[in-house]
Amino acid sequence: MEKNFNKIIVIIPAYNEEKNIEKVINEVRPLVNELVIVDDGSSDRTFELAKKQGATVLRHLINRGQGAALQTGDEYALNNQADIVVHFDADGQFLSREIKEIILPIQSGEADAVFGSRFLGKKSEIPWFKEKIIIPLAGLVNKILINVSLTDPQNGFRALSRKALEKITIENDGMAHCSEILYKVSKNKLIIKEVPITVIYHDFGQGLFRGNGRGTGGFRIIKDLFLAKLMN
Amino acid sequence: MIQQIIALVIILFFVSRLFWQKKNKEIGGNEFIFWLVFWILAALLIIFLKQVDSFVAALGFSGKGIDVLFYLSVVVLFYLVFKLGLKMEKIEKDITKIVRKISLNDKEDKN
Repeated sequence: MEKNFNKIIVIIPAYNEEKNIEKVINEVRPLVNELVIVDDGSSDRTFELAKKQGATVLRHLINRGQGAALQTGDEYALNNQADIVVHFDADGQFLSREIKEIILPIQSGEADAVFGSRFLGKKSEIPWFKEKIIIPLAGLVNKILINVSLTDPQNGFRALSRKALEKITIENDGMAHCSEILYKVSKNKLIIKEVPITVIYHDFGQGLFRGNGRGTGGFRIIKDLFLAKLMN
Repeated sequence: MIQQIIALVIILFFVSRLFWQKKNKEIGGNEFIFWLVFWILAALLIIFLKQVDSFVAALGFSGKGIDVLFYLSVVVLFYLVFKLGLKMEKIEKDITKIVRKISLNDKEDKN
């Protein structure tokens, strides 16, 4: 029987995204109950523009990283009776119409955590270096450190049920949160599903050494994962 | 001999500063004791450098006592840097918690 999932909240962390934020808000907002933008200490007009578009805007006074911003959004969603939370990107790399596809397995009671994958049928034009080197490397690190195999472990498009949300606290402020969420989902024995999604590449968000904002860059992510292991 | 005296004078300078800082309440009790023990230990090792030499030789090191002390200091430094790193990480996490709390509270205030 289909469960009743009423309130869907989409969380979009945004760090200096004034170019894309209005478009993303306009696309996503009609599709869900509430859209939460977490402005992660942007120095541009992201905050003002998001407010003007009528989204719920939470503001980090200083830049804390994407993981930190997502956790802020998650806590807001929990406090505001969300049944399903969707993590989405501010830079327009995901398609808003695929939100309904990613929440479907939760709505039908099939899964607690749904992860988008670029490698399950739908066509994304992934830069060669990213497809052949970075993503397989990230997959290998995930396999070794957290023993979870997904076709696309570093994908930021995901949906979590309230049950999953209550069990998962993102502690990694930077980009290592992708692996962390996977790890915690599997540790709590939540049911995982992958669905095919499309990714549109504009620009390189993530290099091996550095990306945009705090806690980014491939090596930094691996370092954060090791540190998290050490500290726990 | 002269080198040892110079080293001891330097240590004496740091110890006097330590007491000064303690008097002005710039450092806490634990920190004071840690550094006091540290400098006393360093002074003792310098005063008994001959004994350290023979001890080190007995352990099978080819270098002199002072060399081995130098190696040890590098090890201690590495350890302290590592501890500092972990502590920084913890502070970073605490900052995030504060920033998050403020952002969520701000939102509630406006509702």
